[in-house]
Amino acid sequence: MDMILIAMILALLIPIYEAWQNEDIWQKMLAFASIATKTSVMILVVSVLQGDRMIGTVGVIILSVGNAGLMLLAHVIKRLNDAPNERQL
Amino acid sequence: MEDSYIYAIVALLPLAAVMLTVQVNPYNALVIRGILGGVAALVYAVLGAADVALTEALVGTMLAITLYAVAVRSSLIMRVGVLKDECKDEWINEHRDECKHELIQADDLHPFAQLITHLSMIAKKYHLRLELIPYGDPQSLQQALMEKEVHITCIPNSCVERSHENEQLRPPDATPEYHTVTRIRRLYDILQTELTSLTPSSIPSPPPSPPSPITGVTYVMVQDLGEKH
Repeated sequence: MDMILIAMILALLIPIYEAWQNEDIWQKMLAFASIATKTSVMILVVSVLQGDRMIGTVGVIILSVGNAGLMLLAHVIKRLNDAPNERQL
Repeated sequence: MEDSYIYAIVALLPLAAVMLTVQVNPYNALVIRGILGGVAALVYAVLGAADVALTEALVGTMLAITLYAVAVRSSLIMRVGVLKDECKDEWINEHRDECKHELIQADDLHPFAQLITHLSMIAKKYHLRLELIPYGDPQSLQQALMEKEVHITCIPNSCVERSHENEQLRPPDATPEYHTVTRIRRLYDILQTELTSLTPSSIPSPPPSPPSPITGVTYVMVQDLGEKH
């Protein structure tokens, strides 16, 4: 079972590299979404491995609520591109 | 707790932290901060601290990033006061499209569009956001600068001395066509360096005539009134 987790860590390195190298803000947001989901699923796998229900509950909450911050940040960044037209004329 | 994957997971945390510290653009840094929060929540959960992981995910990732995004968005802004008759919708949209496609030919543009293109390039370089605020006449523009509604103002030189009818009588290329006044010392230094030194590098072919600065820059000291922010 440890091999599954090692493979997930390796898969986690892919979006981290992408977020580091790609200068486009939306590519970084995509990598952020990928990492947020991957880490929550890894928390669930660890909770199953250790047999800990408390960690599993926290993993479920992070998986379901964690993307709300991503959406709020995406709205703020999206309004950046439209901003110069807001107060014109 | 002596599983080997724990070391690999914990090693992700300094990796994300180093990635965060080398970011230059504040918005990119915010996104990387979210990645750091996700990795930190994973590390805390793996080490058995479920409550800390939940707090990190909810407060550290969601709330802190949102608050910082609003703060960065409202503070990294350069408000430019312009005259209303200069500021036509058509060419601003045109200019925005050209700016997006990196197809700026300096000679083809209206001088005001050229000026705004220069300003937006400078703002992009320093991660600022450019906001044009139109005003009716030069007097209200000057008053807006004094009341700290705008950071810099751009006025055509023809408006400073006389009315628009005499614009054709002026000898061309004698003086810069626009006059830029700023009340912030740092903006003055940046504009002085960027506008007078060289043409922006994204213009592919330099014009045959030596590029003259399109605007003169002046710094004014504004008294702090106290009641304004």
